[in-house]
Amino acid sequence: MENPSCNERWKRAGIEDNMLLTMFDASDTNQDAVDERIAFLDAVRASSIGLERGKPPTSKIFGAIFHMLRTGKSLQLIVASYKLLVDLEKHFPRAYLSGVDDSLSSSNSPRKLVVAEEAWSPLILYLDNATAVSETGDKQSGGPLDPSSFHVLIGELVESLTESEIQAASVKNLLLFQYLVIVLEGDFIPRNATMNWSLQRESLLNVLLILQGSRKTNYKSLMKDCVEVICVLCQLLQNDLSKKFEVEKSSESQSSKNCHAGLSLALLEVLKNARVSMKKLLVMIMALDMSRKKADIEGHTSRADSPRTPLVDIVLDELAYSKDTVPHFLKIFSEPKWKLEIVVQYLWKYITKPSARTRRSSGCTEDATFDGALKCFSNKNGTKSIIKKIGGDVVQLLLAHGFQAQLSILSETNANDNIGGGREEGGSALVDLCQAFISAFDSLKSTDRDMEILSIGKEALFTAATAISMKS
Amino acid sequence: MDDPLDFEVEDDLLSPLPINNKRKKVIGLDDLLNDHYKEQDKLLEKQNKAKKKAKAKEKRKYDDEDRKEAWLTRIVEKCHNQLKAFGEENDISLWGVKVFGEQKPFPPLDSPDLGSCNFIQSFFNNRLNSVVELAVDKGGSFLEGLLTNGWLSKLAFLSGHVEKPVAIWAFNTMLYSSKEDLQNSSSNFWHAILSSRREVDQFSVKIDWFPEYTDLRSALDTYGFLFKFSSSGERESSDSNNEGPPQNIRAWIRFVTSCCLIRSKKAVFSTVEAEEIVEIIICMFLDRRFQGLSMLLNDCMQATVDYFTDQEWCSSCENIAKFIACRVSEDLNCIQTVECVSEVSSRCKQLRSAIAYQNLLYCFNGASSGEVILKSLDASNFRDKSCDFFKMYIHLVLAENWVLSSSLVEDDPVIYEMFCSFLKNCSSLISATDLRSYASKVRHKASYLLHFSI
Repeated sequence: MENPSCNERWKRAGIEDNMLLTMFDASDTNQDAVDERIAFLDAVRASSIGLERGKPPTSKIFGAIFHMLRTGKSLQLIVASYKLLVDLEKHFPRAYLSGVDDSLSSSNSPRKLVVAEEAWSPLILYLDNATAVSETGDKQSGGPLDPSSFHVLIGELVESLTESEIQAASVKNLLLFQYLVIVLEGDFIPRNATMNWSLQRESLLNVLLILQGSRKTNYKSLMKDCVEVICVLCQLLQNDLSKKFEVEKSSESQSSKNCHAGLSLALLEVLKNARVSMKKLLVMIMALDMSRKKADIEGHTSRADSPRTPLVDIVLDELAYSKDTVPHFLKIFSEPKWKLEIVVQYLWKYITKPSARTRRSSGCTEDATFDGALKCFSNKNGTKSIIKKIGGDVVQLLLAHGFQAQLSILSETNANDNIGGGREEGGSALVDLCQAFISAFDSLKSTDRDMEILSIGKEALFTAATAISMKS
Repeated sequence: MDDPLDFEVEDDLLSPLPINNKRKKVIGLDDLLNDHYKEQDKLLEKQNKAKKKAKAKEKRKYDDEDRKEAWLTRIVEKCHNQLKAFGEENDISLWGVKVFGEQKPFPPLDSPDLGSCNFIQSFFNNRLNSVVELAVDKGGSFLEGLLTNGWLSKLAFLSGHVEKPVAIWAFNTMLYSSKEDLQNSSSNFWHAILSSRREVDQFSVKIDWFPEYTDLRSALDTYGFLFKFSSSGERESSDSNNEGPPQNIRAWIRFVTSCCLIRSKKAVFSTVEAEEIVEIIICMFLDRRFQGLSMLLNDCMQATVDYFTDQEWCSSCENIAKFIACRVSEDLNCIQTVECVSEVSSRCKQLRSAIAYQNLLYCFNGASSGEVILKSLDASNFRDKSCDFFKMYIHLVLAENWVLSSSLVEDDPVIYEMFCSFLKNCSSLISATDLRSYASKVRHKASYLLHFSI
């Protein structure tokens, strides 16, 4: 393949768009057609990723692959098209920071964002004339999604996952969703790293959210759906899924036992990955909110950046509204920084602020940390009122998960400090945290003697006690 | 045996194709090769028209245009069905081998002896145990909680140590627990501690116990993996009502992938064992029930192929290829063994080429060299009634992958020339109107390769 003529060969021939016409006509309902499409995907791979200095396929080809992902009927084809799209995304990033590999330039010259402007996108996002385009985002065509069909997709995920039987078709939607998150991520992360709002605001993610926000209720309900997907996925994977399949199995003929096995293998894997993707999406939105807030403070935002409720607030409302979601959401949402943020804000909403202080005093904001929250439990009246307000179980869950997140953050900084030699300091901070956590739980227990300690609370206590005995 | 997957169930393979699509497809493909086949196409069209006209004349009573059309459609459909019936066996054949048979009973999952875990032992005397209520006999469920809620890996990193009973227990839970949550969490746990590192060649966590290849192999055996399968003898035993591998197979694949990525820290597998893993992964690719896991299998294959040292790789690559070639029969499965190796790295390309080559040697009953094979391919007579285009197609795909996947072979002028000549023969000597099954496939494939890759 090093042969230079090889590249020429492909450039000369390309993959003729005519070839694609054959792909659009017939549906992939017979094996011949599936084989042909697989051959097509292989050819695209060989002519782009397979070559040393290969170029990304044309938009038309991208469109054809995406069409297969959206309308495919055979599992083989859906997975193959998904894989090719993901590989292409990795191989031809739509945005990256120049000089990342170059260790010399990293010292002083700022890294520049390089954006593949003409890159094909699975999302149609035009800020200017959104309404004109949004009409064409129909599902049948299997073309790129517009903001409203993105919302529809999430809605369908919620629906299909809460049904008593999981349909085979949800594999397709889950893979589509995962691909979209990969695209959003590939565009957002380098842009966000520039810390430059003019670049951040143009990210696909921000535009997607702005377009959702043009009708405000839409944006909120989309975010709520996202939170629900996480919770449903968590429940699904926690419970015995085999029961769900049992229903499906009995209704199937003997002959499809085989496909049942194949499908359930694929489905569980896809469900697990979709859970990770959804978590990534939420974390990205939270990071975007933070960048926006920072830009706002620095005066970089304009009127075009219409205000949007931060995702953390929406999540907090959701968690406060239905307490059943708290354990599921916190379990899945494992990213320490944002998990801690959610726990701290949740707790501080209900912690009785010391009356002596006025709102303006700066001490109040300083206290609004996890450590601050733990200290508040030393006050018996405060503890009693918070148990009354949000319930003993939720308090335990918040404390345990907050502790876990704080622990992760501390050990991360410890690991970094190890090189510099600040180990002692890190160790004592860790012991302090564990002790504060244990005494908060002690106070919970002594305030409400009948309170049943949840298993996650016990596990957290065990971890705290073990950490103390290790470090001291 | 090749029961279609769920999606494919809906696809009624036997229902007649819409005629339009069939025709468009032919024309569409020929468009691609406009220069070569425009003329032949026109001829075909003319013939068709003439035929239609003639038939129309015969039956003058169908004055009404619509009825005429309906009748014509029926005729064409009938012909189409006859054609289909004619070549049915081959047209419907799919790749696919059941490489997993009956599952064996899983070994019981013993919770570890808590007394032998130091970190648990030391907690018994802690005053907090009045709240936690940890007891020696209930330790299993407590450990499960630590695992699924993510505390176990936190503890491992805090202490920098994974004790042997915990490591063994997490490993067995991963491979034998029927609970999805436990499988996932233990798989994540092992992945986390294996990928932890302080230096390039050192874990940041001291792991007291590592599984050996035999542990992984016996798990596979329990899942029902047929170590001695061969794709030819498989068809008869397909009626057995087995449900395929358990969900744990996903954790198994992921674990093997993680192990292969840490060779600089610990060489978990010997060369022979790593060869067997590649062979096993290729076998899994042959099972249609693994279609949805191809991403996972690909990652595993990539990691395992990269596991070998440069010295090991040359002979290992050949060993793997030979092993695979003597197991699969000369049908679409042997193409699948080649195509499942995606060309992501030069080693994978080399493996792909090697498997194709060994398959070819096997197809030609151990011909002495590739040149001999190409010579005999070159000499095939397409007009001969006994010419088996299905086999021809397989040979063509194998030869393509052998020659074009590896730059070593591609740079050999003699072989390259012979291969090109074979392609030219296929594309020009097979008539566009040859209706024998796979004839058009061979012709299209060869023309395509000539056009794009040569």
